[in-house]
Amino acid sequence: MTRDFSHAALLIVGHGSTVNPDSSRPTLAHTAEIRRRAIFGEVACCFWKEESSLRDALFFFQDASIREVYVVPNFISEGYFTQTVIPRELELSGRCTERVSGQVWNYCDPVGSHPMMTDLLLQRAHDVAPGVPEGETTLLIVAHGTSLNDNSAVAAKREAEKLRELNRFAAVLNLYMEEPPLVADWAKLTDTRHVVVVPFFVSDGLHSYEDIPVLLGIEPKAAGSATDRRSTAELFRQNPHKLHGRELYYARSIGTEARFADVIVQQAEAFAELKSGRELVEGLVA
Amino acid sequence: MSETAQHAPADWLDVLPCCVGEILIRRTEAGEFSLCHREDAEMESLRIEREAEAAAELARYDDSGRYRPLKTAPNLQHGWTLLLGRAEDARLALAYFYPGRAAAYQAWKKETLRITALRQTLARQTGMYRVAAGISDEEADALVGNFCKSDGGCLRTILWRRDAAGAVPSTLLPRVKFDPGFDQTGRGEAALPLLCQEACNLLVAEARKVVKTSE
Repeated sequence: MTRDFSHAALLIVGHGSTVNPDSSRPTLAHTAEIRRRAIFGEVACCFWKEESSLRDALFFFQDASIREVYVVPNFISEGYFTQTVIPRELELSGRCTERVSGQVWNYCDPVGSHPMMTDLLLQRAHDVAPGVPEGETTLLIVAHGTSLNDNSAVAAKREAEKLRELNRFAAVLNLYMEEPPLVADWAKLTDTRHVVVVPFFVSDGLHSYEDIPVLLGIEPKAAGSATDRRSTAELFRQNPHKLHGRELYYARSIGTEARFADVIVQQAEAFAELKSGRELVEGLVA
Repeated sequence: MSETAQHAPADWLDVLPCCVGEILIRRTEAGEFSLCHREDAEMESLRIEREAEAAAELARYDDSGRYRPLKTAPNLQHGWTLLLGRAEDARLALAYFYPGRAAAYQAWKKETLRITALRQTLARQTGMYRVAAGISDEEADALVGNFCKSDGGCLRTILWRRDAAGAVPSTLLPRVKFDPGFDQTGRGEAALPLLCQEACNLLVAEARKVVKTSE
């Protein structure tokens, strides 16, 4: 960490939820962690569905010492939110937006596109199934698929390909909730004794607590609600789930991983590097 | 600048004790910042918390353990006191209790708080919320009158208007709902306002529901 961000602020943007209390937890935790590291002059977060809203964030960072703001979407992929909602609500006109005050807002890539995702998925698989031989294990990376302009399916496919290239697991598959290859078909699509499932989402919520467990068959339909924390804790404690003659390990969503905080900081750093490189080139050309 | 804004402190912590929303902020004899529910001010056996981050958990659920999607709703849980040594920790805790409200307050004091009319907010929506702009004036009047009311709805002081012409957000709300000098909890004490410069996403979502229901 060599760059000086003391005159810069970091704004982490999450989705949030009006029904699920756990949706914003990872974003709040990563915000608190990065604030503790005292890298940036200020650190804050905002949400689409919770407070602070994206519109509230327009009034953050009023201290004149804050000359730049790095906006990092805590989203798995580029899509409707990163391309439409966030720029519109934050009044961003491009990758760099200069406010009337002269403060510049830099719009960074979402966390899910960072190369470190592959390592984090690998780590999560190890953590949920310690000591289980990789060569006898299929790793399933699960994403949503087929929602409005959502590229999370593409991101999951990319990560599965990278993990496959490592040649460590017997197989690595990208599966989806709503389009083939379907999560519900996992038993047909795998032939190893051990199966590890990592949801490729930024937070735990309805999908990881209810929908995916039902599709996997480890939870009966409508067994509880996403707000019933006792039942959700139980879901992860019961690993391995034994069904179809296999041992299935079910992990928490990847976004709950503490090292996501590193990824967020690195997305801001990467943007700053890119920008300074471009300015250098432009300076040389001029 | 309005007279209320002129006389209000620049920062929530400038003049203590003070009330913000349902929270009472005081200094202890030891010089610590003490935060608690205003209705717990005289209670002696409160659970003591000493980390600013504890505020995030306290703000998340109401007394019965239900999730609070709107942090400015008048249902903050009771039974706790937060003791913090540094002003920055007290500010952080207040940002968990009332996210974004301190920044809006400071911008209001500096006269830089931009106010957005409800019609403007609705017209900006895309995707599933685009239809919300189809809400009629009468429907908006009823919705805002019910959803935003301080008694059981939201404790914010509304600064926005219904449209660019300056129509009142709802004829069903009392005039004090738009007065930053009024204590929205109804306790009639001196309290700093939780300012609402623009309709929140919960209201936009409710407007969508109204339109969808009447379709």
